[in-house]
Parts: sequence; structure tokens; C-alpha cells
Amino acid sequence: MDVKYLNPIIAATDSVFETMLSLKPEKGKMSVQEELITDKEANVIIGMTGDIRGSIVYSFSEEMALKVVAAMSGMEMDTLDKFVTSAMGELGNIISGKATVGLSEQDLECDIVPPQIVTGKEINITSEADSVLMVNFNTELGDFDVSFAIK
Amino acid sequence: MIWKDEYKIGVELVDSQHEELFKRLGDFIVTVRSDQDKEEKRKEIEKTLDFMGEYVVTHFNAEEALQKRYNYPDYENHHKIHEDFKAEIAEFKKEYKENDYDEDFVLEFSGRLLTWLINHVASTDQDIGEHINSVK
Ligand SMILES: [Fe+2]
Repeated sequence: MDVKYLNPIIAATDSVFETMLSLKPEKGKMSVQEELITDKEANVIIGMTGDIRGSIVYSFSEEMALKVVAAMSGMEMDTLDKFVTSAMGELGNIISGKATVGLSEQDLECDIVPPQIVTGKEINITSEADSVLMVNFNTELGDFDVSFAIK
Repeated sequence: MIWKDEYKIGVELVDSQHEELFKRLGDFIVTVRSDQDKEEKRKEIEKTLDFMGEYVVTHFNAEEALQKRYNYPDYENHHKIHEDFKAEIAEFKKEYKENDYDEDFVLEFSGRLLTWLINHVASTDQDIGEHINSVK
């Protein structure tokens, strides 16, 4: 799988975090895996159809998800409830929507489907994927992973 | 408080309306997240949602009038985004009732609403400000 597919997703992540949260995510290590196993509790999965079939997965620790939603709402959040997961789901949706615009500039026409939320510990998310590209980002509110799983 | 000065678009009328809209959104979310008797809470939720919904209409109308006055090139598209959003609120109200005022259903809706509105104001609406300030 070509790393260049990941660039529009990285750019979209940067831009959304900057405009919505005034955060500049620092890109950390990138890895290629056969499957997506994460120890982060709040995962937003955005399915993708069209020229690329697969999904983009945003994985946040519970702590970070709570902090992000607290920053957006100005209210304290203490559990990963439906309000928090749905706010994070929409964040993933917005980033992915922007990413598809970037992908179309590489002549890849893709559509996204509404977010699916998976919470818990040690989750194996996309066993059907051929390969998974994962990037880690660090911010003042914690670190998170963005994975691109392609079938 | 949800409003942040960073969300300003540089057009005074729009910025003050966005601030009021976020205040009403905040009231709605606080109610949704409050601990109170189910029946009481349902009434409060409907009240704060209507209060916010009314203002959504007032604000969208004013913002769209301004877009037209300054020949905003993306008007049609922006108008459609606003229409879809209003339809979503109406759809929610209907389904909320059908779901017998389910707690998770309204939590889910309001979480999405929060992120959606911040993005709309902090990102999508910025282009309006840029346009107006470039032709003024
Ligand atoms: Fe708008």
C-alpha cells in the first residue's frame, strides 16, 4: 500500500484539529500492520467506498476523548457516554470528509459512510483488511492514532 | 461555555449571532446532560431545543441575506447545508418522540450537534467572512 494515500488523511487531521481545537498535532511514528489492534478505548471507524475500499479508524484513549469533548463543550466530561462518543464520531466524520476531497485530487473518488463507534480495551478492528497504515499523533490533550485499513 | 473568540469570522452581526447560538446550544446540552426526573427533563429538553431551533432559523436567514447582499459565490451550496441542518433537527424531534424520549438517543444527537456546529462556524462559515471583508 502506498503511503501517499495517507497524506490527505494526515493533512485533514491537522487542519481540523487546528480550526476546531486550536491544536497542532505532531506526527509521530508511522507503521504498517497486518491488522488493527489497539489498546485505545475510543475508536471511531469511518467506512470508505469507491476507488479505495476500507476504513479510516481514529483511536483515542478514554482520557483524550474526554478532554477533547470537554474542550469543545466547555463542560467537564467524566465518562465515555453516548454524548462523548458521538461528538468524537462526528469529528472523525469531518476529518474523513476533508480527506476524501484530498484523495480526489489524486484522482481517487471515494465516499464515506457514517461513523461507527467501538469502545473497550484491546480491540481488533479490521480483520478483513489487507494492510493497515497507522500514524501516531501527539497533542497537548494526549496522543491518538489514525489508521487507514485497505481491503 | 462553548463559544470561543477563535470562531469569529470577522463580520460583527454574524459573530454576535454565532455567540448567541452557542449559548443556546450550551443550555440545551446542559439540560440533556442533567440529572432530573425523566418527565421534567423531557420538557426541559424540548424547551431548550426549540429555543435553540428558533434561533437557528433567525440566524441562518440573517446570514444568508448577508451572503446574497455581498454576492457570496458559494451561496447555493451553503443554503443547502443550512436547509439540511434544519431538516435534521426536525427529524430528530420526530424520532425522539417515536423512541419514547430515549436518553441515549438525545445524548447521541446532541454530541453530534456540538461538533457539527463548531465545525460549521469555525471552518465552513470562515469563507463568508473572508469574502465579505474582501469586497467591502
Ligand atoms: Fe452557515
